[in-house]
Order: sequence, then structure tokens, then C-alpha cells
Amino acid sequence: MDPGFIAQYLLNGIVLGVIYAMVAVGFTLFFGVLDVIKFSHGDVVMAGAFTALATYAGLELLGVSDGMFAAIVITVMGIAAMAILGALLAKLLILPLRNAPPLNTLLITLMFGLALREAVRLFYPNGSNPKPFPQLLPDAAMTIGNLELRLDSVLLIVLGLGAIVAVHLLIQRTRIGLAIRAVAQDPETARLMGINFERVVLMTFALGSALAALAGITNGLYYSEVNFGMGLLLGVIGFSAAVVGGLGSLYGAIIGGFLFAALQTIGAVWFSVPAYKDVFAFACIIVLMAWKPTGLLADKSAERV
Amino acid sequence: MELVIENIVSGYDQADVLSGVSLHVPEGQITCLLGSNGAGKTTLIRAILGLTPARSGRIRFGAADITHEPTHRIAALGVTCIPEGRRVFPRMSVMENLRVGSYTDTNRQAVEKRLEEVFAIFPRLHERAEQLAGTMSGGEQAMLSIGRGLMSGPKLLIVDEPSLGLSPLFVKENFKVIQRINELGVTVLLVEQNVRQTLAIAHRGYVLSQGRIVAQGDAAQLRDNEEVRAAYFGS
Repeated sequence: MDPGFIAQYLLNGIVLGVIYAMVAVGFTLFFGVLDVIKFSHGDVVMAGAFTALATYAGLELLGVSDGMFAAIVITVMGIAAMAILGALLAKLLILPLRNAPPLNTLLITLMFGLALREAVRLFYPNGSNPKPFPQLLPDAAMTIGNLELRLDSVLLIVLGLGAIVAVHLLIQRTRIGLAIRAVAQDPETARLMGINFERVVLMTFALGSALAALAGITNGLYYSEVNFGMGLLLGVIGFSAAVVGGLGSLYGAIIGGFLFAALQTIGAVWFSVPAYKDVFAFACIIVLMAWKPTGLLADKSAERV
Repeated sequence: MELVIENIVSGYDQADVLSGVSLHVPEGQITCLLGSNGAGKTTLIRAILGLTPARSGRIRFGAADITHEPTHRIAALGVTCIPEGRRVFPRMSVMENLRVGSYTDTNRQAVEKRLEEVFAIFPRLHERAEQLAGTMSGGEQAMLSIGRGLMSGPKLLIVDEPSLGLSPLFVKENFKVIQRINELGVTVLLVEQNVRQTLAIAHRGYVLSQGRIVAQGDAAQLRDNEEVRAAYFGS
């Protein structure tokens, strides 16, 4: 096969890997601090993208024409809105259910995700149809053989990887990261050390949801389209990536995200019908889970959040 | 600072474990709380720390009423617990564990100074600063747990069953360290089953049995007390 094509697939796979890793890190953070699985996470990805889209509509009304400036504003708005939504969700739905069976949390977040999805479909103007997402990043391209290297793809990769590295540093190097890890490892002892448990949980949910928003916006900018159901597949993929990597492990989630993107890319190259790529990727995940039921990194020595 | 507990009733769900316990931990002393398994020692500590708030009664630390304060705020006031079973953070390094210990103190210089003090008491922790706490031996984890407690600059140190699960040599070492910490001016509430060694270092003590204080007095009195003898010394 032509090396240019392979490079093109590789580039596409890296963008997907970054998006999946950002979603998966959220799942792993939530599971780390509270041992809960939040099934509305994919819909938060979608809501982040739609918040950005709505912000762009507002900017258009104001007559803002600079693409880069608009991109920054809509990204910041999407991230901020989802961070607040994530914290509210934790405060109002998840923390009150802390002493209930985990199944209840799962169910209530599943319901919330559904409500969010349907609300966007019903109340966003013409929300049931796919919406074009504005092309805001500079789309200068460089052509090397069959590879078309576009500046906006490169920017998205740099931005996404930067966000993942930033979260990693936040968890490993800062005071709040230390508090998050303490709560993840032993919530009661963490409280004895003077750590405000509830605040740490809210911050963790804000952080994970902000990353989800960034994933949604990246997705929109890359494919130039969003729709109200996009969170469904992204949520399942992010969850699979986190579980395959070992739920609770930050590295595991990142590896899982890139692994899933790699499998999809291999599937896309291998089969001439592109729709098979998801079948192939999920089938591989099933085999992986059967082989390593607790995930790739989730043994005792693994660094959990 | 002194801790005053007045008529505490506490327990889980419907059952009362403590039925009206009063206790006084004077500033600067080692006060011990003795009692066998199931006497209510852990419940009393959980009430002080706000982990299982008391149903009625009052807990005062210095001038502050902490009966219904949340745990992290009680900790910020200077009440530090060295929990039963050590409870170090297993997937953090020794150094990170100590940093969590000083979480409430944002004064960098004070924290660095305390870190040196802790390393002076436990040179082993200095040698192992980068090791993951979960991979250390039980004795080393006990040192780390005490060191982590000291990192907050405690005004009251509650030590819960420090001898549990440790070899006799370590137990002896641990009690010496607790005495030394007290001599540095830290008020200590020592909760133990190990009566002889506890009364050897404590100034005063209480004996808890079935949710009530059944004996109290200074350490020498308690050593001679018939009930304590009957309950713990087997004679």
C-alpha cells in the first residue's frame, strides 16, 4: 500500500486516539475517586460540542469574524459550561446516592444522559438533524505524495495531547492532584488529613467533564459536524477504552483510548467497507477483555489515580 | 489544646454504642483510653473526628465546639489522628504521604522544618522517601503513619491502637516515639488494649467498657485499680 495513505490513516488514528483518551480519562477519574461509573459522560461530550456551537451562533450575531479567536472562545465556553454541569451533576445526583447500591448511580446517570440527549434534540433549533460545525482553525495543507497534512489536524492533536499531559501533571504534581489521589486511595483517611472530600469530588467531576467537552469540540472541529446522538458511541468507546486500560488507571485510560483508535484504523485499512471498522474494534476489545478481565494495567502495582 | 467530651451518645443505625461518655484530655499530657474489643473505643474516636457524629452530648476542643463539625475542619483545627491499621496511602511514595499529612498547612517553611523533624525521628523514612508506601513492611508503615500525623503540626494527636499487628520490638519503639512527641509539647490521646505499656507512658487514663467509663484516674491509680486488674491483667 502507498505510504502516503498509511500516513493519512495514522494521522486520522492519532486524532481519534486523542479524542477517545480524553473521554476515557473522565471515566477513570470518576471511578477513581468515587468508584462510580457515570453513564451520562458521552452525552456530556455531546453537550460540550453543542454549547460551543451555540456560542458560535452568538459570536456570529456579534459579527466576530476571526476564526482563531472564535475557536478559542467557543472552546473555553464549552469547557466552562461542562465543568459546571459536571460539578452540579456530582453534587445533586451522584453524591446523594453515595450510600445506595452502585447500580442506582449507574441508572440515574444513564437517565440523565438520555434526558440531556433528548433535550438537545428537542430544544436546540433543528436539533434532530446533524449540524454543521464551523471550520475555525486555519486549514492550510501540505501535500506529501498521497498524504495531505492539514494544519488544523495538527493543531487538534497538539491541543488534545497538551490537555492530557496537563491533566497528568495536575494529578501527579499539584496539591489538588495529591488530594484527588488521596481520596481515590482512602477517602476516610484523606478526610482525617484535612481534605474536603466533597470539594475534591466536585473538582474531579468538573475536570473530567471539561475534558469531555474538549473531546466533543475536537470531534466537531475535526469532522465539521455534530449531532445529538454523537455522545452515545463516544461514551461507549471511552468507557471501553477505560475498562480495557484498567478502570481507575490514568495511563490505562490513555493507552486504552489510543488502542481503540488503532484497532479502528486497522479495521478501516483491512476491510474495504469502512463500517466494519467498529465491528472489528469492538470484537478485539471483547477478546482482550476475555484475556485480561481486569484490564491491561489494573493489577496491584499499577498506579491508580 | 485540651479536649473535653461531655456526655456523648453515639452509635450506628439504631444501636447506641456509647451511652453517655465524658472524658477530659488535659493540654500537654498523655491521656489513655483503655478497653477491650467492642468497648466502644473506635466509636468514641469516630465521634471526636466527626466521622460518625455524636447523637447527643458535646465535644469541645480548646474554645471550639466541634461536635457537629465536618471531619476536614476538625483536622484543620489541629486534631490529628494516627488511624488504626496505619492506613498509609499505598500507591503514593513516602514523601507524598508526608505531603498529604501537611495538607492543611500552607506555610511552606513550617512544613519543610517539620519534614526535617520527622526525618530526624525516623531516619528510615528519609532513606525510603521515594518508595511506594504500599511496598513497605508493617513496621515501616507504622513509622510513616506517625510521621504523616506529625506533618500537620498537631495540637492534639489521637493515636488509635498503635501496637496492633506489630512485633513487640516495634511496639516498644512506637511507645517511646509517642512519649517523645508528647515531650515536644503535643497533647496525646492514646487508645490502646496494651494496658501495661500504655500506663507506663500515660499521665492519666480512662477505662471504657460496654459504652461507659468504668474507671478513671492517673496512671498509677489505674495500675492499682481492682477493676482494671480484673479486666485486663487477669488477676
